[in-house]
Amino acid sequence: MATRAAAPSTTDLVRQSIQGRRLGFGDIAFPAALLLALLLALLFLATLLIDVFVRAWDAFAGRGFSVVTSPLSLNAGTAGLWQSIMGSLALTAVVAALAFPIGVGAAIYLEEYAPDNRFTRFISTNIRNLAGVPSIVYGILGLTIFVRFVRAVGAGGGVYGKNLLAGGLTLAALVLPIVIITTAEALRAVPSAIREAGFGVGATRWEVIRYHVIPYAAPGILTGTVLTLARAFGETAPLLLVGAATGFFSMGSAGFIDRAVGPYTALPVTIFSWARQPGADFRSLTAAAIVVLLVLLLTANAAAIILRNRYERKW
Amino acid sequence: MSRKLGLIALLLALALIAAACGDDDATTTSAAPTTTAAPTTTAAGQSTTTAAALTGSIDISGSSTVEPISAGVAEMFNAMYPGVAIKVEGPGTGDGAQLFCSGQIDIGDASRAYKDSEKELCAENGIEFIELVVAIDGLSVLTSTQNDAFACLATSDLYAVLGPESIGFGSWADANALAAEIGAPNAPYPDADLVITAPGEESGTFDTFVEFLIDGVAGGEDYAETRGAESVRPDYVASPNDNVIIEGVAGSQYSLGWVGYAFYLANQDRVKALAIDAGEGCVAPSAETIANGSYPFSRPLYIYVNKASAARPEVAAYVDLYLSEQGLSVIDQTGYVRLADYAPTLEAWQNR
Repeated sequence: MATRAAAPSTTDLVRQSIQGRRLGFGDIAFPAALLLALLLALLFLATLLIDVFVRAWDAFAGRGFSVVTSPLSLNAGTAGLWQSIMGSLALTAVVAALAFPIGVGAAIYLEEYAPDNRFTRFISTNIRNLAGVPSIVYGILGLTIFVRFVRAVGAGGGVYGKNLLAGGLTLAALVLPIVIITTAEALRAVPSAIREAGFGVGATRWEVIRYHVIPYAAPGILTGTVLTLARAFGETAPLLLVGAATGFFSMGSAGFIDRAVGPYTALPVTIFSWARQPGADFRSLTAAAIVVLLVLLLTANAAAIILRNRYERKW
Repeated sequence: MSRKLGLIALLLALALIAAACGDDDATTTSAAPTTTAAPTTTAAGQSTTTAAALTGSIDISGSSTVEPISAGVAEMFNAMYPGVAIKVEGPGTGDGAQLFCSGQIDIGDASRAYKDSEKELCAENGIEFIELVVAIDGLSVLTSTQNDAFACLATSDLYAVLGPESIGFGSWADANALAAEIGAPNAPYPDADLVITAPGEESGTFDTFVEFLIDGVAGGEDYAETRGAESVRPDYVASPNDNVIIEGVAGSQYSLGWVGYAFYLANQDRVKALAIDAGEGCVAPSAETIANGSYPFSRPLYIYVNKASAARPEVAAYVDLYLSEQGLSVIDQTGYVRLADYAPTLEAWQNR
């Protein structure tokens, strides 16, 4: 009895623990280590950015905006990024047109329609695995399947199928698993109460998905898709295999269809190509190309953030 | 409702922008060179009527060493004949040969002559071709500008530190015994770190260096025969990126490495080219010594033209320009060296 009376109450213990104890070694060292990790990460980023911007300065100061507006070349005096930027945007358009509908469709099926059995779990796991496959592997897939496919359907153009379509198909296959995963996450974040309420008033599954689930999930889906497209925009390795031009190319007098299936290039491929060229001029041009790529990617990311903030819902 | 509409509008706008940009790509790419075309066309004295008439496409691939020349000529050609579609890329001589001999490209760039196996592939697929030597590339053996120990190395010195028997040598002094055995003139070497950065096996520059040094093509001893050597030592820092090699060589005082002459020219402030003695005294790489063949480590650069493609007027016009005075000026700009005599090349081209 006496011992129980002497025992401090829980409230006292907590108060004592919060107010009375001195900070131990761990209490100081752990946050300090975390802060150090953060600073180290920022330091790498800052070093990279400063280095790239300083190197790029020569090119922009010497050549002005002709660095951006000139066509591809291996002559450091005239080389520019216009074809690369446009090629990258066109590729991204192809990827968006292919990966967005297929990816969102697959995700809606998996989340809303598919029964939860061994087969669908197997598929979900594999989609996650596919998202982790190195991009060069998709390049080989593109070379062996899409290049041949494009050639077989008569859209090979003058470059034997190594064209914008094949490149776009390859990148679409690369980002498809990521589109599915991000869309599925967005759908899963919609509270099931919304669905149950819909069913409760007699809506069909289609009506619930169409009028309730998708509108609520749309900001998440869009944000995820924009970020995914940004990933496709920055991808180099697969495009090297499916024939993005590195040296020089011109479209000649080709018509619109011929242009779509003709030679192409992309910003990251140009960065790769220029980094191999000799001389200080190309070192600076490479940095300038990286700056342009970073600016475009940051713009895409900013668009994603604005979309999310504009349309985000709170429950 | 309005929020949903806004969302759809935004999505549509994004898609439209992307599509419009893709469209733009096509128009702008052809428009940009046309504006620069005017002065070049007049300078070349080409009749504008044929220039306007030429259409079609030219596909060029192969050695990344030759790529800058072919791309430079292509740029010039595009200014004269904006109606012709051209693509130039440089995945490597071997990859280019595979494409060329399967009939996928019109012109194959090569930093070495096509191998017999590659020519057989061409024959199997019924591809006839014209082999044209277009320029010479000196292969420069590099060291750091701080290297005060050597200005010239004999091929036997290079074999002592780079040959297959030197595997594991981390210091120049490790090679002293081997150097004495094969009679290398600059031995004994200082006791200094031996840092080697050079192209990897996939590179034409690597193949050429092995032929020069190990097979005695450059004029030194044929170590393949006398010592059973097959390649250079594999334990060095290999990179397909010549700028990485320059960094590696510049970063250590007694470094060694090799790149194409053009890369050395563009980086003379950071690395030093060693003179090479292949039995006839030390010769340093320069435009003169490479052109007249006295510099031992120099190699011809080739273009291979598909005979069937050469019958097309746009391909013929491109090769004509390549071998004209105007086209050859690209060789000077890119840091390579012109042939002493273009007569055999021109003859081979005219007898197609």
